[in-house]
Amino acid sequence: MEGVFDYAPAIALFPLVAFVVVLAFGTYLPKKGALPGIIATGGSLLLSLVMAAAVASGEAYHETLYEWAAGDATSATGVEGVSFTFGLLIDPLAALMLVIVSLVAFLVHVFSLGYMNAEGETGLPRYYAGLGLFTFSMLAFVVADNLLMAFIFFELVGLCSFLLIGFWFRTKSAPSAAKKAFLVTRFGDYFFLIGVVAIAATFGTVAFAGDDSFVTAAETAIDGGDQLFGFDAQTWVTITGLLVLGGVIGKSAQFPLHTWLPDAMEGPTTVSALIHAATMVAAGVYLVARMFGYYALSPTTLAIIAFVGGFTALFAATMGVVKDDIKQVLAYSTISQYGYMMLGLGVGGYVAGVFHLMNHAFFKALLFLGAGAVIVIMHHEQDMWKMGGLKDKAPVTYYTFLAGALALAGIIPFSGFWSKDEILYDALIVGLEEPVIMAAYAMGLLAVFFTGFYTFRMVFLTFHGEPRSEVAEDPHPVGWSIKAPLLVLGVLAVVAGIANLAPVAKLAGVDITFLEHWLDGEYGAIEGLTYTAYGELLAYETSYIGSEQVTVLVAAGLSLLLAFSGAGLAWLLYNKPEPVAHTERLGSAGKVIEDNYYQDEYQVWLAEGLTLPLARAADRFDQTVIDGIVDGTSTASLFGSDRIRRLQTGIVTNYAALIVTGVIVLLLVLGFLGGWF
Amino acid sequence: MEPIQLPEWTALGPALLLAATAIALFVVDSISPRSTNRNVLAGIATTGSLAALGVAVWFSMAGVGATGVDGFGVIELFDGQFVVDQLALYFMIIVAVVTALVVVASYDYMAGHTYQAEYYSLVLLAATGMATMAAANSLVTIFIALELASLPSYALVSILKDNRGSVEAGLKYFLVGALSSAIFLYGISLVYGATGYLQLGNIASVIEAGDAAAYDGLLGLGILFLIGGIAFKTASVPFHFWAPEAYEGAPAPISAFLSSASKAAGFVIAFRVFTEAFPLEATAGVIGIDWTVAFVALAIVTMTVGNFAAATQDNVKRMLAYSSIGHAGYALIGLAGLSADGGELVMGAAMMHLLVYGFMNTGAFLFVALAEHWGVGRTFEDYNGLGRRAPVACFALAIFMFSLAGIPPLGGFWSKYFLFSSALEAGLLVVAAALVINSALSLYYYSRLVKAVWIEDPVLERDALTQPTGLYAAIVVAAVMTVVLLPGFGPVVDTALEAAAAIV
Repeated sequence: MEGVFDYAPAIALFPLVAFVVVLAFGTYLPKKGALPGIIATGGSLLLSLVMAAAVASGEAYHETLYEWAAGDATSATGVEGVSFTFGLLIDPLAALMLVIVSLVAFLVHVFSLGYMNAEGETGLPRYYAGLGLFTFSMLAFVVADNLLMAFIFFELVGLCSFLLIGFWFRTKSAPSAAKKAFLVTRFGDYFFLIGVVAIAATFGTVAFAGDDSFVTAAETAIDGGDQLFGFDAQTWVTITGLLVLGGVIGKSAQFPLHTWLPDAMEGPTTVSALIHAATMVAAGVYLVARMFGYYALSPTTLAIIAFVGGFTALFAATMGVVKDDIKQVLAYSTISQYGYMMLGLGVGGYVAGVFHLMNHAFFKALLFLGAGAVIVIMHHEQDMWKMGGLKDKAPVTYYTFLAGALALAGIIPFSGFWSKDEILYDALIVGLEEPVIMAAYAMGLLAVFFTGFYTFRMVFLTFHGEPRSEVAEDPHPVGWSIKAPLLVLGVLAVVAGIANLAPVAKLAGVDITFLEHWLDGEYGAIEGLTYTAYGELLAYETSYIGSEQVTVLVAAGLSLLLAFSGAGLAWLLYNKPEPVAHTERLGSAGKVIEDNYYQDEYQVWLAEGLTLPLARAADRFDQTVIDGIVDGTSTASLFGSDRIRRLQTGIVTNYAALIVTGVIVLLLVLGFLGGWF
Repeated sequence: MEPIQLPEWTALGPALLLAATAIALFVVDSISPRSTNRNVLAGIATTGSLAALGVAVWFSMAGVGATGVDGFGVIELFDGQFVVDQLALYFMIIVAVVTALVVVASYDYMAGHTYQAEYYSLVLLAATGMATMAAANSLVTIFIALELASLPSYALVSILKDNRGSVEAGLKYFLVGALSSAIFLYGISLVYGATGYLQLGNIASVIEAGDAAAYDGLLGLGILFLIGGIAFKTASVPFHFWAPEAYEGAPAPISAFLSSASKAAGFVIAFRVFTEAFPLEATAGVIGIDWTVAFVALAIVTMTVGNFAAATQDNVKRMLAYSSIGHAGYALIGLAGLSADGGELVMGAAMMHLLVYGFMNTGAFLFVALAEHWGVGRTFEDYNGLGRRAPVACFALAIFMFSLAGIPPLGGFWSKYFLFSSALEAGLLVVAAALVINSALSLYYYSRLVKAVWIEDPVLERDALTQPTGLYAAIVVAAVMTVVLLPGFGPVVDTALEAAAAIV
């Protein structure tokens, strides 16, 4: 497989070309630019598979392609000079993510033919150009070999989601949602940027991998007991790690910066599928996985990641319970699921977290595209209470959606079960030693119940029972371009779990944890970026309840029990011909949950009650003091200018007198200084 | 080696060519005294100045005056009364370039005027004087060259005989000039009295040998008076009073000529006299004070007075006149920054600034000449909205203005940047700060003019404006040079630094 990596840049560049082509000629192309996008993402998918095959054959790729800036600053650890580059890093993690992203992007493009083109949307070239740029940014982010390049494409991903969420810019809600997504994630990215600068200034490098990576440098600094910027190295690594984490929390919609994601539903459903499954939101968690070695050095950061993840998982799941809009339910489920991934990574379960990232990408793309299909079927109705009875009228959509729902709810043997169970298992064995992790684990476990409940509430309300509106009785047919992606993803949602059947492996003692081997570098890998290498950095103690097998059984049993009870409760309440809302039974708690725990309200208050007055005060300061000084300077200058102008009287004798005076003054001064007299 | 070895006196070729052109014009004039045949007269003048430019560039490229391996060495003529080195050729190039631009522009500007032949021959005589100043190596030749440059200038300023402003400006210029010449001449005699020599190198050796130690006050006073004479020629404070009135009253091409070429010639004298005749440490040992102190003070005061006075002018030409004083202040940094070690950088930067200035300032004054040719008026308001009528010329004007203000990536930015950085390296923090503050202020009045021509609406509706070929050609060439001097800055930097290093 020598040399195939030379084509690696093309993976990201194909969609960029599609973006340019569609932007320039989209109006004149058949299908308004869908075809270049499909061809480009298809090409990226093929190349990504080739890369994965190359990695499987035992290779990896780490190459700097272009140095765009270099300086001779000395870092805090004494590294001379820092350079900023664009480079590629294709290791097992990146190869896996490349396949996921290009696959989902490809399917979303195909699905768009049915969802956007067939529905007669206007502005399609803009839409496909946006998708192309979005895919390009994410793919480039995935292969980035350094933190600054990652940041650049991280920002570009944010920009693209802004453009696409606000696609229907003539409505009132879409631009507002786009702005919100942009501002909230930008707030997190602000910390990320400071983190990048801090890491560059500390270690003189922003590379992810290699001997001169900041991870290695940080490890050396901690081992050497260095003092960095007045902190000991461990604390400083924690601080910078948390700063970068700010960007992750914003992008991956973790508490408290999760508020943008539900609103982002205002974009086309296909865009939501892309954002939730493979790009925007996935970028945050991927970044944690990418620089996992750095976080592994700081137990405090890991504990924070785990706790935030567990809390978000539960918190978002409860909100998903009371939503009526099918996409809203999915949005909260996304927040919750990314909470699980953070929990998994936070407890050191690198494989579990990445495994869930992969499974989630498949089943969440499936669910969103399924929801998109439902929306087409329902003539753009999104309220689940107006649906019902679609089971028989749209069987393909129903069964694929059901597969996605079972995976999301974590029902054995669907893919979501295996990865969620592994996360919870990893959390449990660490939690037995660390009370904070135990709390995070408990929250994650409890969230399983709510997940099961809201998922099946959604399924029953949408597909089961009697049709509750006229459109539900007379559904709109859907074409192959909608069904084909659903089928592909449906199959993946069922079988993707085979990649890492860890519980089976532990109970039966067979070696079938393929993903773990993959990420552990049994095939190709970059030194230091493997599961084992990370495990050596981790400071967690683990223990078991009884033996390993018993613990596995307890963890799996508990989560399955809760998932089934959640699903069962939904079955009891909503699997009826004429289901009714039960929200009022929750009383005042229901009101709080429906209002999303007043998260939006307090953030709006922060903006309007706190930031706005502060900004006004700053503005006043600028208007009066700063401008006053500036105006004063110019007034003084002009006044001085007027005076100096008057030196020129126009009378030549005055000039002669002034010249002579000038010479005499110079003479006196110089003579005095030089001692001529 | 060259197949034909030219005789040594040809080293003064550029100056001789200018003189010959002036005489040729006299000949034409005496054959047909009433001739106003512009084609012949301007043609001769243009040919002559371009020939001088060509020869100067050729010499400079061929290595005349260069001390390197393939150079011909510094050529001394008439027992060292004149010297042709890289410095001399560099300034001859500036003088010849400005002369050529001015002569070409005058073709249209002077249309319909009497005294055409006199005008061109006076310009070329003044140019001869300036070129001679570049090569003069003794106080007496310097003085003669200076007067050769000055006397035609007085006449040129007042050549518009039926224009009161022109005549008055000429008289004032002459009176201030006479006073300054007197002071300069007195300075020469004092220096001669203190050292016994007029030739620059000999003065230096006397001072270095310590033979002038008894006459410290006398020598100091002499040096001070020499500074005075130079300050007059370069329009530096306090000898600047003539400049605003002379530039305003004179025909605009003459203002361009005086403010660019004449100023540059003043600086070459300053550079040569103060580096050749008064070596820094030895002179400080005699007169008890470092003479760069005087230039530090003059630089700061000059740039401040020039820029501040320019800021509130209503008359465009007068604004340019004060701006020209401000730029003299910038160029004085070249002398202020001379020190025992590493002075050639800052002097080289000043020389680069003078070269770029030769294009951008000449161009700006030629735009004023164009405006006078159109008869649109003299104030900023009168210039309002010209951009729509004459986009090419006004675009060129914007280039000149922004370059004068020092906006990247134009030539004026780079030369100012070199001045700034070399001043910092020389440790002249105050001067560097003054440079920055004054540049910032200058942007105000330069951009005011750009705003007037491009943004403001015209006060009166105008008819279409003519496009005089000569003026346009000169303006466009100046604008192009202002821009392309940037990519060509490599060789220019080398030449300037080499020229500076030749004497430091």
